[in-house]
Amino acid sequence: MSIVQNTGEKKNWYLPGILTGMGITMKHMLTNLMNRKKMPTLNYPEEKHEYGPRFKGNHVLTVKKDGTLRCTACMLCATNCPADCIKIVASESIDPEVEKFPIHYEIDILRCVFCGFCEEACPVDAIRLGPEWQTPGLNGANFNYDIEHLAHRPQLKGGILTHVDDKERHKAGI
Amino acid sequence: MQTKLLSEFYHLEEFCGLAGYKKNGGYKVLEKAFKMKPQEIIDEVKNSGLRGRGGAGFSTGMKWSFLPKNNEPRYLLCNADEGEPGTFKDRLMMERAPHQLIEGMIISAFAIGSEKSYIYIRGEYNEPIRILEKALKEAREAGLLGKNILGSGFNHEMDLYVGAGAYICGEETGMISSLEGKKGQPKLKPPFPAVQGYLRKPTIVNNVETLAAVKYIIRDGAAAYRKYGTEKSAGTKLFSLSGNVRKPGNYEVNLGISLLDFIEQEGGGMKPGRKLKAVIPGGSSAPVLTAAEVAQAKLDYESLAGMGTMLGSGAVIVIDDSQCMVDMLGVLTHFYHHESCGQCTPCREGTGWLNKIVFSILEGKGRLQDLDLLLKVADQMKGRTICALSDAAALPVISFVSKFRDEFEYFVREGKSKVRGELHAQMHH
Amino acid sequence: MPKCTINGRSIEVKEGTTIMEAFYQQDASIAHYCYHPGLSIAGVCRLCIVDIEGNPRPQIACNTKIMEGMKITNQSAGIKEGVKWVLDFHLINHPLDCPICDQAGECGLQEQYMEYGKYSPEMAERKVKKRKVVDLGPTVVLDSERCILCARCTRFTEEVTKTEELGLFNRGDRTEVGCVEGKQLDNKYSLNTVDICPVGALTSKDFRFRQRVWYLKDADTICTGCSTGCNVKTYFNKEGFFRVKPVYNEKVNGHWMCDEGRDIYKFVNLEHRQLKASIRTGSETFETSAGDATKKFSSFLKQLKSSETAVVLTGQYTVEEYQALVKSLKKSAGHFFHWNQNEVTEKAFDGLLLRGDKNPNTAGLRQVLEENKVGSDWKELETGLKDKKIKTLIVAGPENKTVFLDLANKLTLFSQAENLVWLSAAKLDQAVSGPKNFWHIPLKTFVEKSGTFVNAKGLAQKFSKVTTVLSEALTLSDVAALLTGDEALMVAEAKSEIAEAKIPLLADLHKRPDQVELERRKKNEFLYKRGAL
Repeated sequence: MSIVQNTGEKKNWYLPGILTGMGITMKHMLTNLMNRKKMPTLNYPEEKHEYGPRFKGNHVLTVKKDGTLRCTACMLCATNCPADCIKIVASESIDPEVEKFPIHYEIDILRCVFCGFCEEACPVDAIRLGPEWQTPGLNGANFNYDIEHLAHRPQLKGGILTHVDDKERHKAGI
Repeated sequence: MQTKLLSEFYHLEEFCGLAGYKKNGGYKVLEKAFKMKPQEIIDEVKNSGLRGRGGAGFSTGMKWSFLPKNNEPRYLLCNADEGEPGTFKDRLMMERAPHQLIEGMIISAFAIGSEKSYIYIRGEYNEPIRILEKALKEAREAGLLGKNILGSGFNHEMDLYVGAGAYICGEETGMISSLEGKKGQPKLKPPFPAVQGYLRKPTIVNNVETLAAVKYIIRDGAAAYRKYGTEKSAGTKLFSLSGNVRKPGNYEVNLGISLLDFIEQEGGGMKPGRKLKAVIPGGSSAPVLTAAEVAQAKLDYESLAGMGTMLGSGAVIVIDDSQCMVDMLGVLTHFYHHESCGQCTPCREGTGWLNKIVFSILEGKGRLQDLDLLLKVADQMKGRTICALSDAAALPVISFVSKFRDEFEYFVREGKSKVRGELHAQMHH
Repeated sequence: MPKCTINGRSIEVKEGTTIMEAFYQQDASIAHYCYHPGLSIAGVCRLCIVDIEGNPRPQIACNTKIMEGMKITNQSAGIKEGVKWVLDFHLINHPLDCPICDQAGECGLQEQYMEYGKYSPEMAERKVKKRKVVDLGPTVVLDSERCILCARCTRFTEEVTKTEELGLFNRGDRTEVGCVEGKQLDNKYSLNTVDICPVGALTSKDFRFRQRVWYLKDADTICTGCSTGCNVKTYFNKEGFFRVKPVYNEKVNGHWMCDEGRDIYKFVNLEHRQLKASIRTGSETFETSAGDATKKFSSFLKQLKSSETAVVLTGQYTVEEYQALVKSLKKSAGHFFHWNQNEVTEKAFDGLLLRGDKNPNTAGLRQVLEENKVGSDWKELETGLKDKKIKTLIVAGPENKTVFLDLANKLTLFSQAENLVWLSAAKLDQAVSGPKNFWHIPLKTFVEKSGTFVNAKGLAQKFSKVTTVLSEALTLSDVAALLTGDEALMVAEAKSEIAEAKIPLLADLHKRPDQVELERRKKNEFLYKRGAL
C-alpha cells in the first residue's frame, strides 16, 4: 500500500473530508434501516451468534448408541491439559467390552483455557469442544462441570453421538 | 538303481511276525553284535557314513559319540512321530517289519549302553501301534527284551509311547518334553540331548529308518554299506513318492540317483497329458524345485543342499501343471500355522501372519506388496527360533513366491488362479 | 576368566557368564522380554539376538555362554533390523489398547518400541482374539490379548513359589496363559507375577485403574510388613500412596516380595492417620498440634516420679528413634518394655521371604535396649499396672495396626494406668476411657523419615525419607527432643552406633534393573513435563 501525501493547498480544507465521512455514515445507516437482515451487529443478549461446529467452546462428552459415555478414562486429556483442570476417577465396568470407564469426570471451567488439547489427545473421540461459548453463572454457580452437565445437559438434546464405536472396531478385527 | 536292503522282505506277510522274521534271517545280526564291543559298533556305524534319515541328515555315529563317557543311565528314543506332510516311509517300515526296527534298536542300545528305550509313535498311526505292540510282546516273551538278552549279559527294556499327534513332537527335544509328560515344546539348546535329554539324562534320538539301517551295517560291515550311494551320502534310503505321478508309494533306492529317473522309473512318470511343474524333494519343509531344476537334481544330501533345498525325510512330492502354486502354499502355511508350538515369537506370530497373507490372496483380497511382505516376514523367521519349525515354515514360502512369482502376481491382479481360473476352492475357515 | 569384546569393547568376565549378563555388567543396552535374572532361561522372545563373529546365525544372548575370544555385537545393521522385526512379531496380535491398559507408561512393549523399534507396521490382517479380563485369583487379572507369552509368570510359579498354578495352554498364536484346572493363582507371592509381566497382561486388582503410572513418583524404602526387611519402591503422588513394588537386593529379598508387604502403603495415607493430637484430662477433650501436645506432656512429665513412669516400645520404629527416646527418657522413666505382639510366631519363616515377626525392627529395638542396659520383663508391667506401681505409660504404638492382632487387649491393659501417652500414626478405632489423662500424639510413618532398620538376620539397612504425608506429625526423635528440650535430638538422623557403621543407602545398592528402562523414565521426566507430552 502506498501512502499518498497531500502536500498542496487542499490539505487545509477540512469541510470536504467531514462531508465525505458523514456521507459514508449516512449511507450505512440508511442501508441498515432499509435492509435489517444485513446488519452486522447483534442485539446481544436477546440475539446470539451461532458459531461453526469447529469452534472451541464448551466441552461435550460424547455418548455411544446405548447412551453410555464413550470415555474410557484413559486420562490422556487430563495428562495433556496445560491448565490441569480435568479430574477423572476411573472404575472397572461390568461389561468386559468396555473394561474401564469414568465414574467421575470433572472440568473446572474457570481454569480451562479452551486450548482444545483434550480433544486432540483423546484417542476415541470422547471429548469435543463444541460451539457453545457462554459460561455465565450467578454467585454460587457450580463451575466444576460434571458428567451430567458435560454429556447430558439439555442443550445437547440427549447427547452427541461418537464417531468411534467399539463394536464396529472389534468387528473389523482391530 | 534299486537296492532292496531294508525293504527286501516287505512283500512277505510273515515278516511281520517274530517267526517269519527269524525265518528270514531275523535277530542273527543281534547275536553278531553281542559278540562285538560297543565301541566297535559305534565305529562301524561312524565308518559306514550313515546319516540321520529323519530330516536333518546328521551323521549317526557322530551323534552317538557325543554321549558323555560315564556310567550315567542313558536313553535311546526312536522317533516314529512321522508328521512331515508327504512322508509315510516309517509307517511302512513299522507295519511290514516291526522286528527289524526292534533288532536295530537293541543293537544301537547295546552300542551306546542304554538299558531303556522308547519308541515315540505318532498318535494317528493306529495300525503300526497295534503291530508294534504285538511285536514288542513277542520279543519280550522270546527273551529278546528284558534281562540278559540272548545270554549276553545285556539288559534292555523297550516301550511304546503314543503321541497325541502334534507335528512339533517330531522335533527331538519336543519329543523329549512330550515323553516327560510336559507340553510338547522344543527345549533350548545347549544342552543338547546327548548330554542332557530325557529326564535330564543323556539321550539319543534316532529315526526309525536310521535305527533299522544299523542292523544292515552290522550285518554287512561298513564298507559294504558304503558301496551303495555316494561318497558323502552312503547307503540306501526309502523315499515316499506322492503327488501327481502314476505310481505313488514307498521306494527304496541308492542315494545319489537322479530325481527325474526316480520319478520316471519308480513312479511311472507323469499322468498322461500332464507336464511336470515342480517337485518338493524332501517333505513339505523343503524348498520347492522347478521343472528345470528337477532335471539336474540328484537324490542325495549334498547335491540337493547345493540347489538350496534339502533331502529331508525323503518325501518326494510331484506337482504337475494342473496345480495352482498359490493354493498349494495355502495348504502349507495353514499346516505350519496350526502346528507351531507357540513358544518362540517369530514362529508363533510369523506362521499366523504368513497364513493370513496367503489366505487373503486366495480370497482375492491380496495386494501386490503382500508378495514382498511374505518374503520379508519369512526371511525374518529363518534361523531365529529354538527349533527348525520356523525355518520349515519360512523356506517353502520363500521358494514358492520367488520361483513362481508370476502365478502369485496373476492371482493378486486378477483375483483368480492362473491355473484353475477361480478363487481358492477349499477354505479352512 | 574368558576375555571377549562386546560392541568393540574388550572385557573379561567370570567363567560361565552369559552374554546377557555381560551386557548388564557393561551397562550396554540389549532388548529382551523373557529373560529375567531371577528365573530360568526360557529363550522364547528371541529379542536378545547378537552377532558373534564366525557364527553364521545370530544367537540369543540369554542362553549363550561367553567363550574365550568371542566378538559380540548387537549394533550391526542385521541385528538392528532383526530386533525390529521380532518386536513387530510381538506386536502384530497385540491389541494396542494402551489408553485403558494399566501398564502404559511402564510397559516393556512401549519402551522397547521407542528404543529399538520405530518401524512402520505392515500388518494389515485381522488380529487374533483372545479372552479379556480373566479373573485368575484374588489378586490378579489377566488380559490374554495383551500377553506376549514370555512365560515369566509361569516360570515364577514353577520355580520360585513352586505352586504351579499357571500354565500355557493351546498352541501357536492361540496360546494363552491360564490357571491349571481346579486351581487359581492364590499364593502369598502372586503379585510378583504382575511385576515381572513386561506388558499389561497381568494387572493387580488392588492397583487396577486407580492411577496412571505417569502420575506417580517413586522412591526406595524398606518394607515394614515383617522382619525380613525387603527393599521396596513406593509409588505416590499428592493424593497419597498407591502401591509398593520390590527392588532387587541380593542380600535380603532377591527380586521378590510377598503380597502382604504390598499393603503397607495403605496405613500411610491420610484416611488412616491420626491428623491432630488429642488430649483428654478428666472428662475434657481437646485437639491441638502434635508439638504442642508433646510440650504440654513434657511439663507434666517433670512432676512425675521416674519409678512410676514406664515406656512401652514396639518394633516399628527406627534405631535412631529408639536411641533418642531411650536416652532422653532414661532419667525420667524407670522402666522400658518391649511390646512384642507375636512372640509365639516370631521365629516362623516360610523359607522364601515371609517371617512371623511382623515388625521391621525388632532386632534393632533389642539392640538399643541392651546397649542402654534398660528393658524389663513384660510381667513387671502387668503386675505394676495392677498394683498401681506404674502410673504413667508412654507407649510408642503400632503404625501398622493390621499386624497387631492383640491391639484391643493391650489397650485395655494399658488403660489401667493413670496417665497414658499414646504415640502412634494410626487412628484408634476405640475410645480409650480408662486412664484419667490420655494423650494421643500423631507420629510420622516409615515413609516420612530416614533411619535404620535391623532385620531378622541382623542386617542393618539405612533408608531415607520418601515424602511428607502429614507435615505436623512427629518422629519419636522429635518427641524425645520436645520432652527433654534437647534440640540436638531433633535431627532425624540422630547419632546412633549402628547407623554410624557406614551402611550404604538403599538407593546406592540397586544397580540391576529387571527391565530395560528408558533413560528419561529413570529420571522421572514424565512427571515434570506434564502437559508437554
